[in-house]
Amino acid sequence: MIEVSNISKQVNTSEGTLRILEQINLSLEAGETLAIIGPSGSGKSTLLGILAGLDVPSSGTVSIDGKNITAMDEEGRAAVRAGHVGFVFQSFHLLPGLTALENVALPLELQGMPDALQTARTYLERVGLGERVSHYPRQLSGGEQQRVALARAFACRPAILFADEPTGNLDTGTGKKINDLLFELNAEEGTTLILVTHEKTLAARCNRRLELQAGRQLEPLSGISA
Amino acid sequence: MLALKMLLRSRRGGQLGLIFSALVLAVAVVTSVALLAERVERALVKESSSFLAADLVVSSSQATDADWLEQAEQQGIRTARIASFASMTFAGDEMHLASIKAVESSYPLRGAVKRSTVPFATEESDIETIESGPKPGELWVDSRLLPLLNIELGDTVDVGDGSFKVSHILIEEPDSGSSFSAYGARILMNWADLPASGVIQPGSRVSYRFLIAANKENTDKFDKYVDWLNQQLDVHDRIITPDEAQASIASTMDKGRRFLLLAGSIGVVLAGIALALASHHFANGQLLQVALFKSWGISANRVRKLYTQQIVLLAIGGSLMGLLIGWGFHQLLVSAVREWLPIALPMAGARPWITGFATGILCLVGFTLPALWHLPTQSPLAVLRRDTQAQSLNSLIRGSLGILTVAVLLFWYSENLYLSMAILLGFGITALASIAVGLVLLRLGKTYGHWMGSIWRLALSNLWRRKKPSLIQMVGFSGAIALLMIMTVVRTSLVDEWRWQLAEDAPNHFLVNVAAYELGGVKNLVDQRDLETAGWYSMVRGRITHLNNQPPSELAVDGHESLRRELNLSWTSDLPEGNKIVQGQWWDTTAAGTNNLAPVSLEEELLHELGLTLGDTVRFSVGGLSFDAVVTSTRSLNWDSMTPNFYFLFPEGYLEDYPRTHMTSLYIPSEDKLLVNDLLRSYPTVQVIELDKIIDRIRSIVSQVTRGLEMMTLLILGCGILVMFAAVSLSMSERLQESAILRTLGSSRRLILGVQWVEFTTLGLMAGFLAALGAEFAVAMLQRFMFSLPFSWHSWLWIAGPLGGGLLVGLLGVVYSRKAVTQPPLRVLNSL
Repeated sequence: MIEVSNISKQVNTSEGTLRILEQINLSLEAGETLAIIGPSGSGKSTLLGILAGLDVPSSGTVSIDGKNITAMDEEGRAAVRAGHVGFVFQSFHLLPGLTALENVALPLELQGMPDALQTARTYLERVGLGERVSHYPRQLSGGEQQRVALARAFACRPAILFADEPTGNLDTGTGKKINDLLFELNAEEGTTLILVTHEKTLAARCNRRLELQAGRQLEPLSGISA
Repeated sequence: MLALKMLLRSRRGGQLGLIFSALVLAVAVVTSVALLAERVERALVKESSSFLAADLVVSSSQATDADWLEQAEQQGIRTARIASFASMTFAGDEMHLASIKAVESSYPLRGAVKRSTVPFATEESDIETIESGPKPGELWVDSRLLPLLNIELGDTVDVGDGSFKVSHILIEEPDSGSSFSAYGARILMNWADLPASGVIQPGSRVSYRFLIAANKENTDKFDKYVDWLNQQLDVHDRIITPDEAQASIASTMDKGRRFLLLAGSIGVVLAGIALALASHHFANGQLLQVALFKSWGISANRVRKLYTQQIVLLAIGGSLMGLLIGWGFHQLLVSAVREWLPIALPMAGARPWITGFATGILCLVGFTLPALWHLPTQSPLAVLRRDTQAQSLNSLIRGSLGILTVAVLLFWYSENLYLSMAILLGFGITALASIAVGLVLLRLGKTYGHWMGSIWRLALSNLWRRKKPSLIQMVGFSGAIALLMIMTVVRTSLVDEWRWQLAEDAPNHFLVNVAAYELGGVKNLVDQRDLETAGWYSMVRGRITHLNNQPPSELAVDGHESLRRELNLSWTSDLPEGNKIVQGQWWDTTAAGTNNLAPVSLEEELLHELGLTLGDTVRFSVGGLSFDAVVTSTRSLNWDSMTPNFYFLFPEGYLEDYPRTHMTSLYIPSEDKLLVNDLLRSYPTVQVIELDKIIDRIRSIVSQVTRGLEMMTLLILGCGILVMFAAVSLSMSERLQESAILRTLGSSRRLILGVQWVEFTTLGLMAGFLAALGAEFAVAMLQRFMFSLPFSWHSWLWIAGPLGGGLLVGLLGVVYSRKAVTQPPLRVLNSL
């Protein structure tokens, strides 16, 4: 599903070259779950961005479904993302002017799905927000907002879901509920899940783990291939 | 359609509301002004035609060529001939030298004649409007002819060899303005009676007028006929167009129209600024959405297409709505100015609608599109990292695009280079000064702010820290204030200039040709009615016999009236009010002319028409005596002022020995109108020029125009406030966030609102000061080139600008940011 080979990322700053990632290798099959863990500033989010094709490595290759996305231009990577990728973010990134329903429906509408609103409603019901479809993000609690974001991500039926600290902005209780929902939907949809987290408990629920420290992979990918 | 759906949804976000309002307002302002301007323009042309009683007139000292009539008949052009002459009229033992106008039965071709059966009628109910002249055998006469000849309506009056029945009182002919120079009472008779009267003989002094008018369906043929006619003219003939017919009314209306254009142009620029600011704000709000789109795999091209579609939809929707509101507003304006003209305003053509619609499209292309241009290049990585933002279009390019748009709009709209330049330069100077001076002021504020209390220190350092949005806001505020100032100043000076016309007791009659021995008696008559004159002027009547020691050529004599008739020469030591020296110098430094010649000051245009320059000599013949004068200066005159104006002025001490007459102007209220009659009965040689009807007309036009200007001013004020709103909302979310954090940290309401108050007031103060600078410059240009008003310094701008700016902007800012202290901080933060 995803093949990462020897990727490194460095940026030039006024104080010399800053190495953010070095020699990362991993391979993930469809339906597997991977947690990228490590302290702040260890390069987790950068790695996630590169895996998702939002960013490009300085060297090395990333292949999704056998297609080398690092060799593509932005338009090519966009096309790959459009077919395969979904996201959940730490700060939810819901559009404030849209209702919960419209937020979920927007990516479907952009894909040209004819019954986008109906599908969106179904997914909101699945995350337990069937009664709140016409609420705006500011009228929802943090946990509810993240549930809308989950519905939005899964409604597109992505092959791979990238989650960046999905519960980082939530209290422990709410965070746990969101995590439960995330894994439940993931299991039902058979999605490959790659998440970045600080939380050991969350990481423990993934069948693969990759620990970063100062941009380096501490050990080869752990866990059992599904 | 997805773009439409997105557009409707963004409306709820509130960010689009400002763009939409600015767009609608721009289109509405332009449409309403363009509609009104075009309708007034059309009415003006039509009305001028009626002042001329025709579409075009050939004035001549010779009878109309038979060929002209034949050609006109073939082409289906309507014609009428007029002969004007002075002739003795008799009734019993009484006689009077009357000004007679003989008109063909087709007269008037445009407009109508007012007649009555009641002498000196002033009541509307006594006056009849009719689109024809007298029938053969009838005379329509001036009221005052009745007492002069001691006759009544229905009596017979002899003109030459003919006897005619006085059937009606002549109140007003459409082209009566052309007979100011006539002596005595006016009489309108039919052209067909001329042979019977036998008054026109070879050598008689007669002025002929040949009136032509197009039929509705043959305007092409009319234009061709006019071209043909132009080729037939010789030195005796002069073409008079509707524009020349009523110069003073036309100039008032023209200035009113120009003000409308100015106000409209300012409205466009203001709406443009509002649009640019709102678009900038809108674009910032779209960055996350675009980053999300890109992370979902939407290509840059698709993003560009989506936003372009939204802008096109917005442009169409906003423009249509603007057209509708503009039409409504123009109806309001029309109802305010309906009495401008005695005729209905003709409907406007397509042009104002096209102008309005195009304004909407152009505004969005010029202001909104550049602000959104960078959106498609937004990196999808921004969904993970807040700091990854697309590089927005170079502000120089954006600025240039905006300026280009404004320039195109201004010029297309006003078709006036000076107006466009003045507004652009005024705004440009204000904007540049805002950036340059603004930076210095902000820096100074930051440096010296720590001497003041904590609120000031915090506020001034905030302004410095946010210098980019602060400067953009300053440009917006100062631009809006400057444009509002420009409009107010021009409006005020126009209304001031017109004030005399609005004054109830402005002179409306001239008394001319009062002999020295009559002066006392005339003054007595005036005093008896408690009327005041504008002062008595002496004058000597003389003729030009030589120019530069040569008699003028026959060609020149035929071509210029002032070489054929007696001229009024006067003298004064002080330059009369309303006169301005154009070339040369006034008497102060030229005590005497060269070579002992009398110095003379000429009216500027006459100098050119006679082909003279400074230093040339003119020989005058006064009562058979000749003297030479040298041209030492030229003057421009204010023909709008109802005070005596002279083509030739001499210093004191040159003309006093010649036989002189006296003249004055005075206000005669309608209830004292019989004074004219008393005067003419007692002093038949005195010439009375009656301007009361014309002045009433001008007065009503001016008061209507003024009312129109007031309404326009209000509309533009609305635009200005919109700009202020757009500018204030620009930095609001950041400010609210900071305030909420300060609030969380326990800062008092006083501190938070105080900081906002100081920040916005400071911005407003600086903007007001800079606006005064730009406005003063633009007003100077406009007064000089567009409204022909003298330059004046407006000290109040420099006080009202900063004070008003500070107060208004400060208030707006505090009202906007009140939310930060009235709502719990968490709710504020969540809503951002």
